[in-house]
Parts: sequence; structure tokens; C-alpha cells
Amino acid sequence: MGAWKGENELETTVKSKALQQFQEATETIVNPELKKWIEQGGKVVGYFCSYGPEEIITAAGMVPIRIRATGSTGTELADAYLSSINCSFCRHAFNMGLQGDYDFLEGLVWLNNCDHVRRIYDNWIRKVDTPFTQMMSLPKMTTDVQVEWFRDELKILKEALEKHLGITISDEKLWKAIKLHNQTRRLLRQLYELRKKDNPPITGAEALAVVVASTAMPREQFNDMLKELLEELSDAEGITDYRARLMIVAGILDDPAFIKVIEEQGGLVVTDSMCFGTRILWTDVNEGASDPLTALARYYIQDKPACPRMFDTQPQRSKFVRDMVKEFKVDGVIGERMIFCDLWTGENFMLGGDLKEEGIPFLKLDREYIMAGAGQLRTRAQAFLESMGR
Amino acid sequence: MTTKRKQPEKALQLYRDDKAYMQMLMDGLSLDESEEAEINKGVIKAVLDKYDEVLDCAENDKPFITSWFAYAAEFFTAMGVPWFMFPQTAFLGIEAPHVTDDIDGAERLLGSDFCTVLRLSLYYVEAEMSPTPSACIALLHPCDGTVMIHQAIKLGKWRDVPMFGADPPYWEDERSYEYYARELRRMVDFVTEHTGYTLDIDRLREVCEESNKEYALWQEYNELRRVVPCPHDWTIGPPQCFAMATFYYPGKPGGAEWFKTLIANAEKRVKAGVSGVLGGEKIRMLWFDILPLMWQFDIQPWLEQEWGVSIVMNMFGFTPYEPIDTKNEDTMFRDLSKRSLTEYPMIRQARGVADHFLSDIERIVKDYKIDCVVWPAHMGHKDGSANTGMMREKCRELGVPYLHLGVDIFDKRYTSVDEVKDMFSKFFSSTGLGQK
Repeated sequence: MGAWKGENELETTVKSKALQQFQEATETIVNPELKKWIEQGGKVVGYFCSYGPEEIITAAGMVPIRIRATGSTGTELADAYLSSINCSFCRHAFNMGLQGDYDFLEGLVWLNNCDHVRRIYDNWIRKVDTPFTQMMSLPKMTTDVQVEWFRDELKILKEALEKHLGITISDEKLWKAIKLHNQTRRLLRQLYELRKKDNPPITGAEALAVVVASTAMPREQFNDMLKELLEELSDAEGITDYRARLMIVAGILDDPAFIKVIEEQGGLVVTDSMCFGTRILWTDVNEGASDPLTALARYYIQDKPACPRMFDTQPQRSKFVRDMVKEFKVDGVIGERMIFCDLWTGENFMLGGDLKEEGIPFLKLDREYIMAGAGQLRTRAQAFLESMGR
Repeated sequence: MTTKRKQPEKALQLYRDDKAYMQMLMDGLSLDESEEAEINKGVIKAVLDKYDEVLDCAENDKPFITSWFAYAAEFFTAMGVPWFMFPQTAFLGIEAPHVTDDIDGAERLLGSDFCTVLRLSLYYVEAEMSPTPSACIALLHPCDGTVMIHQAIKLGKWRDVPMFGADPPYWEDERSYEYYARELRRMVDFVTEHTGYTLDIDRLREVCEESNKEYALWQEYNELRRVVPCPHDWTIGPPQCFAMATFYYPGKPGGAEWFKTLIANAEKRVKAGVSGVLGGEKIRMLWFDILPLMWQFDIQPWLEQEWGVSIVMNMFGFTPYEPIDTKNEDTMFRDLSKRSLTEYPMIRQARGVADHFLSDIERIVKDYKIDCVVWPAHMGHKDGSANTGMMREKCRELGVPYLHLGVDIFDKRYTSVDEVKDMFSKFFSSTGLGQK
């Protein structure tokens, strides 16, 4: 690790077309690959939350995309329905729905994942004309009883899609979709493996762009592009000039600019526990199971890294972060939360205590969905790095 | 069975102090021999009895649990297990002189935008100001705050207190009621495991039958509140009914008697055409949330005196309850499950789809001849505040003005009393309600 020379130093040395396309995909909702799909008559279904069962949407022959509010500049329309104590992601996302930015969607799937998002459902179905909408009841516990419950919810979604589209989603189609999405996860994990290196070939901001893109375009194309990027990164010169290796713990963080500000101070983000991060890629759906819906239910309820809303999982969540700290040789952890998010307020409170016990530096950061207050973020990041003696 | 739990002395002292405060209120009321005072004496006696019950368990090492109103306390009555409501200290101590310091302490744990009553509840555990129960029943709905607060408590001073949470489904259908009924069965097993108290189904039937009487009487009382003018002022009515039926006397002897006394008094006042609001009722209000507990003495008397407002109904006083079918074990579990998911206030409106926010407003406005609807927008009620546009539109459709306040029901500093009064005054003036 070389001496820190100042801002704007961290970036990959690879000039990759794939990476550029991924970065472009984070800057808009309808990226070129998705646009091509739509122009060819393909249908798109959006979903909120990392528990959105995208495999079922893929099996129905459509492209699943995770709802973001990228490009939103205001919440004037949404503010007539929501209030100032609702999280800014929801206000921006609903605003985009109201102004027609999501009119290209064939459908939209929600889960009752948090107080804010589940109310977007109630507002959306009354105010936005999306052909297919479905809410799913996501358990708050993770025993086999809840796996069984969620399997039924997946079946209800599958049958609703079949009815809406006039198709049959066979087990064969489900397994094919599961394999496709597992491939995405495996490729993304390969990217994360590269970040374990002392000199990772990719920054945290760039890696976030890749993960965001994985939820925003047809998966076959994404997988091909990611293979290309991995090839390019495999023998790339790594980043040496950083002050510390950081981990981000957060809910919805889909804007690489946020991480870029931190990295401009020399804190290289090498891993995360995020919804646009390890929470959607760290484990696979079991391809050896006998029933695809049960395999999916078990994946979402028991196998994937859990969201704080899952009541009985705090020890595992904390362990996951601490294990990542070791695996990725992390010097400090940043816990980010959207203002008014009770889930992440509680999570950061608990995680802060656990990390303190182990002597791992921890910084809590509040933010709004739209990147604002970069100056303050810069100062906080600088102070954090300095407090670690970096 | 003994708990072998060391109780924090600070908690016991706080309970003794709170009890002494309630006793002082009781002593003051004892000078008043009116029927209305008798009604309130009945409630304070229930509070004092609850303090005694918890203190007895804590001081003498007997098993007791903490839970929430939304877990069908009929089970606990039938089992005979002593319990206190988890946020009780925060609710009952809301006028205590130390509460603002406590809120500041809670802010150091969970910041400033997390529901204050939940922050306080965590703080009281961590500051050893809450008795340590033998077991804790965690509430996993209706909001994110409850899920997180119980997880946080599990890591701190109550690390060794066994905790149970029932998984609440989102939907309202038979599949969900059966699922949650199974969760409630697990809860009963958990309580037995950690306290030794068991559930006898015949006893549960007796309790449910008694509870059915209370809920029917509560509904009867609410019929009387439909009358213009409403027979009771802000000191008597929905909050007490809620507390007696769901917390202090769920299925216990004495509950039905209290309701009968309440009804008798209301009937007498209705027949005589006596208004609860001194000087005459001018505005009939639906306060659609928890009442403003922290500043009830500032706001409610002022609303009555300055504007002739009668808060005819609030979210906690509304009675959508259906009787429990006591035919057999399965029907009782099923109906108590349904009640736990779809009838208790706040859970009913905030847990699943938003439809109850709108249908309840419509039903109350029509049934109770409401002139205006107030959504206080307590800072912790984020899901409800995301319905504000829908509620406003519903009120427009019904032809009643709607006011969105924006307060912390537990902290006057969030929006001051003067600001709230100013909002009300402008609202009544601009809508013409003040001219009535």
C-alpha cells in the first residue's frame, strides 16, 4: 500500500467496455440492453426488495428489474400522497411511477419488506396503471414453517403470472431460470473474489455498478458481459494507492457516486452487506432439490444473507459481517442507512455494539436517496479514516 | 416455579414510584363521589392491581412475562400467568418529570427518528428501569420498529430472557388465520415452558365467554357515543375501554361490571341530553391514532374549551371486534388469531393492506356523525403517514375536512403545544368548523 497522495486516485486500470456499460446501466432505468429487449417485444416486471423472486419472472419469459429511483430529481407528485417521514427512496420511486417513468413495466411485485415500501403498493395500485401487480407476504422468521408459507406465496405469484400472461410456467422453465440466476450469482462472487486481493483490480464504486446492472438488464447478456469483464480483470494491475480497506453495510444503496466519494478519500470499499451486494449473490438456490418452488423458498427465507427485518437472524447477520471483515481484510466498516429507516437504525445500533466488542472501527452514516451533502460525507469519511490512523 | 432472576432495584423503585403516583390520583378522585369519578376509579384500580401483580412477582421471585395487547391476552388470563405490557413504563410514565431525560437517553441509543415509545422501551431495559420478566413475547408487527426493538433487547440487559415472536402474515384470509393460530399455539407452549403455567381449554372457554361480554358491552357503549352530543368528555371513554378490555381485564371478572357502570352513566347522560363538553359540543372529531398522551392535559381540555371539540372516537376506541366462537379449541384459536391480526387497533390498520385506514374512517365518519378527521402523524407511524394522501381523498369524498398534524405523541419538543394549537385554530377557522 503506497502513501495516500490525495483525492481522485482510486480507479481500475482496466479500460473495459463491459464495465462502462455496467456503469451506464446504473445511471438510467432503461439501459440500452433493456431498451433492446423492450423494442423486440420483450416484457419487463419490476420488483422491490432483495427478496423479490426474480427467477419466477424470468421463468415467465420476462426480464425482472429491481426498482430504483435513478434519475429522479424531485418528489413533488409523491408528496401529495406520502409524508416527510417516509424514506426518500420510496418518495422518489413513487414519484417516478406517478410521472410515468415506469409505464414500460408489464408488472410490478412487492413484498411487505418494510413500512415504507409496502405502502407504496397501496398507493401505486390506486394511482399508477400497471397491468400486473402483486404483493407477497414475506415472513419475519426463518424456520421451515416460514419456508412452507413462502413456497405458497411463490406459487400464488406463479399462478397469477400464468393467468395474466396466459402461459404455463413449468418446473423445467423454473429450473432453467434458477440456473441462469445462479450463474449470475456465481459470476458476481468471482468478482468479489478478486476484491479479496491485497490490490483489488476494481473499486467499490465500480463493483456496485456491476451488481446494480445485474438487476437491471436481461441476465443472459449480463452474464456474458460479466464474463468479459472478469477476463479483463483477471490479469489487471490492482489498486495499490489506498489508505484503508472498507466494508459497507446498508439497505438500498444503488448509487456508485456515494461510494466514490468515500473512495476519493482513500478508503477502498472491498466488500459489503447490502441489498445491491452480497445479500443477493452470496449463496445459490439449491439446484439439486426436487421441487423448484421449495428450493426458491428455502433460498429466500433461510439461505441468502438475511435482511434485518428477519427477526431471528441477528446473530447470523452479525457473524456474516464479522466473517467478511476477516475474509476481505477489512480495516473499518461503514453502516449506512436511509433517514427514517427503522430497520437499519436498529441494525446499525446492534452491529455497532458487536463490532466495538471486536475492536473493529465502525462509522454510522445517514443519507437521503438522492446523493446530496457530498461535502459532509467527504468530511465524515476523512475523519473516519484518520480515526483509524490511516 | 421461581424465576431466579435478580431484579434491578432501580426498576422496582420506578414501579413503586409510578404506583404511588397512581395512588395519589386515586386518593384525589376519592373526594369526588360522582358516577364519572367512579368510572375512572375503576380504571386506576386496575392499574394499581397490575402494579401490585408485577411487583409481587418481581420481589418474590415468581414467574411473570411481558407481552403486548395484540397477543390476545385471553390466553394469559386463562393460563393465570401475570404479565405486563412491554411499553407500559413508557406509556404510564409519560407525564413523569424524568421522561424528557429518558427520551434523551433513548436518543443516544437509536437516534431521533425511531418511534419514541419504542426507543423509550429499549432505554428502560438498558437503563435497568424495567423489571426483568421470566420471558418476553416479542411483537413482530405492525411496524419495523417493533421487530428491531425486540432484536436489540435480545442483545442487551435481557440477553438471558427467553424471547418468542409469532410470525405475522400480511394477508387477511383463512390461510393466514390458521397460520397465525399455529403461531399462537407455539406461544402458549413457550409460556408454559418458561413459567410453568399451562392452558386449560375449558378455562380458555370461560375466559373467552367473559371477554365476549366485555367486547359486546364496549360496542354498546360506542353506540351511545354516536349520539349528538357525545355524552362524555375527554376524561372518559375510548382509551379506558381499550385498556380495560385488552390489557387490564381481558376475560376477567370485573371487566364486564366496569363496562356496565360506564354504560349506565352514558345512558343517563344521553337521556338527559347532557353534553360531555362543557359549554356545548360544536365539533365532532375523529382522532385517528393513539391519543396525544404526552400532552393530553394541554391539548384535549383546550380543544373542548376553546373550540367545543368532542373527540367522539379514536383509533383505539373503535370496535370492529367479532365475538370469539367458543365451540372448541380450534375455533377459539382461530378467532383469537383473527382478532390478533385484524381487529386490535394499529395492528388492524398498519400491519397489512391500507384498506382499513380508509374503510374505518368512512365507517366512523358516517356512524358517529364526524365533522373532521385528524391524522396526528405520530413520528413513529411511518406506514400510516404514507397513507395520508389516500386518507385525505377519502375525507374529501365523505365531505369532511382532514388535518395532518405531524407530532411526537410522546415528546412535546418535536412539535410544541403552541404549534399544535395554532394548527388546529387555523384548521377550524379555514374550514368554517369554528363558526358552528
